[in-house]
Amino acid sequence: MSREDHAMIRLDKVDLTLPSQAGLVEILRGVSLDIAAGETVSVVGPSGSGKSSMMMLIAGLERATDGRIEIDGTDITDMGEDWLARFRRDRIGIVFQDFHLIPTMTALENVAIPMEFAGRADAFGRAEEVLDSVGLRARTTHYPGQLSGGEQQRVALARAFAMAPRLLLADEPTGNLDGETGNQVIDIMFDLQERHGTTLMLITHDTGLAARCRRSIKLLDGRIVDDGRRSEADSRPRPAAAS
Amino acid sequence: MAENGGGRADLALSWRLARRELRGGLKGFRIFVGCLLLGVAAIAGVGSLSEAMLAGLRSDARALLGGEVEVRLIHRDATAEERAWIEANSARASRTAELRAMLRPAGEAASAERMLVELKAVDTAYPLYGAVETEPRGDLQELLDEKDGLWGALVDESVLSRMEAAPGDRVRLGDLTYEIRGTVVGEPDRATRAFTLGPRVMVSRASLDETGLVQPGSLIYHHYRVDLPPNADFGRWRAQINEAFPDAGWRVRGLDNAAPGIQRLVDRVGLFMTLVGLTALLVGGVGVANAVRSYLDEKRPVIATLKCLGAPARLVFQVYLLQVLTLAGFGILGGLALGAVTPTLAGPLLAEQLNFRIAGGVYPAPLILAAAFGLLTTLAFTLWPLARAQTIPAAALFRDVVERASSRLPFWAWMAIGGSIAALAALAVLSADDRVFALGFVGGAVATLALFRLAAAGIEKLAARLPRPRLPGLRLALANLHRPGAATGSVVTSLGLGLTVLVAIALIRGNLDRQVMQTMPEDAPGFYFIDIQPQQVEPFLELVRGHPGVEEVRSVPMLRGRITKVNGTRPEDMTIPEDVAWVFRGDRGLTWTRAAPDGTEITRGQWWPQDYGGEVQLVSLDAEVGRALGLKVGDSLTVNVLGRELTAEIANFRRIEWQDLTINFVMVFSPGLLQQAPQTHLATVKMDPAEELALQQKVTEAFPNVSAIRVKEALERFAGILQNITVAVTATAGVTLIAGILVLAGAVAAGHHRRIYDAVVLKVLGATRRNVGRAFLLEYGLMGLITAAIAAGAGTLAAWVVLTQVMQAEFAFLPLHVTATALVAAALTLAFGFFGTWQALAEKAAPHLRNE
Repeated sequence: MSREDHAMIRLDKVDLTLPSQAGLVEILRGVSLDIAAGETVSVVGPSGSGKSSMMMLIAGLERATDGRIEIDGTDITDMGEDWLARFRRDRIGIVFQDFHLIPTMTALENVAIPMEFAGRADAFGRAEEVLDSVGLRARTTHYPGQLSGGEQQRVALARAFAMAPRLLLADEPTGNLDGETGNQVIDIMFDLQERHGTTLMLITHDTGLAARCRRSIKLLDGRIVDDGRRSEADSRPRPAAAS
Repeated sequence: MAENGGGRADLALSWRLARRELRGGLKGFRIFVGCLLLGVAAIAGVGSLSEAMLAGLRSDARALLGGEVEVRLIHRDATAEERAWIEANSARASRTAELRAMLRPAGEAASAERMLVELKAVDTAYPLYGAVETEPRGDLQELLDEKDGLWGALVDESVLSRMEAAPGDRVRLGDLTYEIRGTVVGEPDRATRAFTLGPRVMVSRASLDETGLVQPGSLIYHHYRVDLPPNADFGRWRAQINEAFPDAGWRVRGLDNAAPGIQRLVDRVGLFMTLVGLTALLVGGVGVANAVRSYLDEKRPVIATLKCLGAPARLVFQVYLLQVLTLAGFGILGGLALGAVTPTLAGPLLAEQLNFRIAGGVYPAPLILAAAFGLLTTLAFTLWPLARAQTIPAAALFRDVVERASSRLPFWAWMAIGGSIAALAALAVLSADDRVFALGFVGGAVATLALFRLAAAGIEKLAARLPRPRLPGLRLALANLHRPGAATGSVVTSLGLGLTVLVAIALIRGNLDRQVMQTMPEDAPGFYFIDIQPQQVEPFLELVRGHPGVEEVRSVPMLRGRITKVNGTRPEDMTIPEDVAWVFRGDRGLTWTRAAPDGTEITRGQWWPQDYGGEVQLVSLDAEVGRALGLKVGDSLTVNVLGRELTAEIANFRRIEWQDLTINFVMVFSPGLLQQAPQTHLATVKMDPAEELALQQKVTEAFPNVSAIRVKEALERFAGILQNITVAVTATAGVTLIAGILVLAGAVAAGHHRRIYDAVVLKVLGATRRNVGRAFLLEYGLMGLITAAIAAGAGTLAAWVVLTQVMQAEFAFLPLHVTATALVAAALTLAFGFFGTWQALAEKAAPHLRNE
């Protein structure tokens, strides 16, 4: 079976229940979902609807209480922590609202680190290339604390794309950025996605941003309440967001 | 409002606010409280135990001294006239003699082992206080008395097992045969002698003269224990007896000085252990400072908010100072409680070892001292972060740790910090008997603390400047060493100080062990033979030289004398440096000779001609003593030998290697007056160890009055005593390391959030637990190794100072001791650091990555 024959993300009746001080909280209830390779999917919904939790499950950072999760044709439901770490390293890029860069490492080192974990000899050369592609060639030796929010998120994007992942997960990537900077970052992200043919799952509150994806899933109270596809023309960037 | 009222109102408000903040409980302050508790407990415990021992000595002074006054003579017994004076001027008196003698089996078993014993001959009045415990129980006099022509002897249990003897068996001492009537279990006045060469044998004083052991010049201690007549005063009594017999040369002691040797030992070891306890407190101080700093870091928003709401800086300072003092109070009280019960808990155990009662109970003075140390340490280590906290501007509320500008401390804060450090040092020095030693210790501790602070700063700088390695694990480890808020400073300082103490003690102990045991086989003689009478010297030498395996035998005349004047000044009117004070403490062995002994190294002056017979008595003095007292050739020394004053001119100074255990004397006189004085000879024999027992038998058979001291056995006994002391000191030093580990645990805990974050982000990026774990291991491994290396250097230096400057001993670097200590320490750092970070590795990623 070739890679393209299977879904990139397949959730089958996934439940997620987490303990809280008030008792057990059902975060996701019987979520089933198929996302094909190369698709761009936005996940929308109010706070607490389970968007981030779903993304954590897909990234293997959280374990489902029930149901099965398949990523890129591999069932990750019962995999061990270190196996999942390697799987993420090779196939999944993640971008967070809070950037989550390592403060004691330069931009270049932050980008190189997943490749170093993979033992790639060209880690730094490749990191430089990716940083160049997000317009940060001049900032390679800077520490996160010396970069603006937009620059930090671009480093995070470069880091996420460094290993040319099959799947990119982005959790409110512009949540901490002003409008214009956010738009720049999003443009870079879609550009990279298109060039690499990466499957993109984007969590956002921004309906405009959601609309740039081919498909939009709406979550409410831990259930998928809407799953709509747009035509290619619908999902083109709006003029306001153009770079 | 008046200023005073305002101040009080401020304080009340501060206290109210402090109390509200303290509602959170001890969370985050466990290390803080633990560090103080440990340090204060160590100081309070050591102090209380010392006090309890001294109180025990005081309360049992009569039993320990054997009476209200003790008059001691060496070599010669009191004259009839002196005895009459003593009896006339006392309510009651007891007379004993103590000497070393060879105990031999009598009769058929004559080939069995001979033993050097500590012989004590007691009269019927003995003991004036307390009781001699015997097995079987019975009246002491009855057990010792002559029955059917045989005197009785009581022996130590070990004598029975070594000689395979039993009560009823006969043994010989000198020329007299005794019957073993039982064993000595306890003696009220035994503890006053810290070092003995053999087991106890007790006989009747009336039998002693028949043994032939009492010869002119023999090393015999004659004791007269006296109860003063009603209304008599010790000081006056002593003055009277000295006035009546000004040249008697005796030592007269009262109840205030019942056991000077033990008292000195308790004082010395107590001081040393108190100072080691203080080091533990200083190490703990680092933990205290860390805890307060990270607590105040967390409180930045609260402080900024308080300031926004109108709180002046002083109020902020007071609020947090009160909190710190309250929490310190818990730690100090806990430490005091532990210290207070130490005499009750450890006393009985120690009493068994030391042979005297340790008075349980609570001793306020050491507790107050320990509390003061605890409080001053708290202030010295927390005023800095507290003063900084009050400078936090409200506007800086949301700045990140990286961007925090260092705000200037106000002048009064500097004064307060300096004042508390100075007070701490002053307290340590002033509360010690030996202030020079304490000052040296405090100086050393401060210097070491500063050294490790500097080293930590150096490590951080170096880690920041090093080319960044390509290995991500190593890079992360290096980055963790220097990033803002890194634990490097506190870990290196706290662990380093504790380690330095341990390395120093390991080296000192190793050196002493080595000097006592290891240097022996090459240089040391196998035997000392003492109390050889002048007429026995020739036959003795002949016998020994004729024995197989004897390589060398040397014999010198030996007398004992006390220095009574130096250049006409009495020792009590002189300032005598501590390192040579022992020369003036009681009687010293001395000798006379025509030619300089082989290997004599004269540092100043000249040896006298072989045929010297001048009017002026000459003396050769230990160069070290001469240097310490600032003496020069031509100066005079007056010595009291057997009640006669003898003044000699210093002819030269000699370098003496005490460690080689050959015969050596501080003072060697020219022939002359000393030649005529009653004296015995001392001989050393170097020989094949396999022949030692046979020679011992032969000599003691031929010369029953001569005692043989096997150097190996004596050294083993000495090493045993040393062992006990070093165990106690090492245990106290262990407290320092525990304090260090507590601080380390605190530092690890403080960096915990940061570490979890690192671990989570790295795991998101595909790092396995091994990748992350290796980075943490490297970080702590590097820190542990560097700290151990510096501690090895500083500890070696400290050991060198203590050995060569304080103990006047030789120093040898023992790489194995140092490496072992350092490696164990590095492993400990790794283990504890890693234990703390292991949890970070196991942490679930998702909760730390959520936005909502």
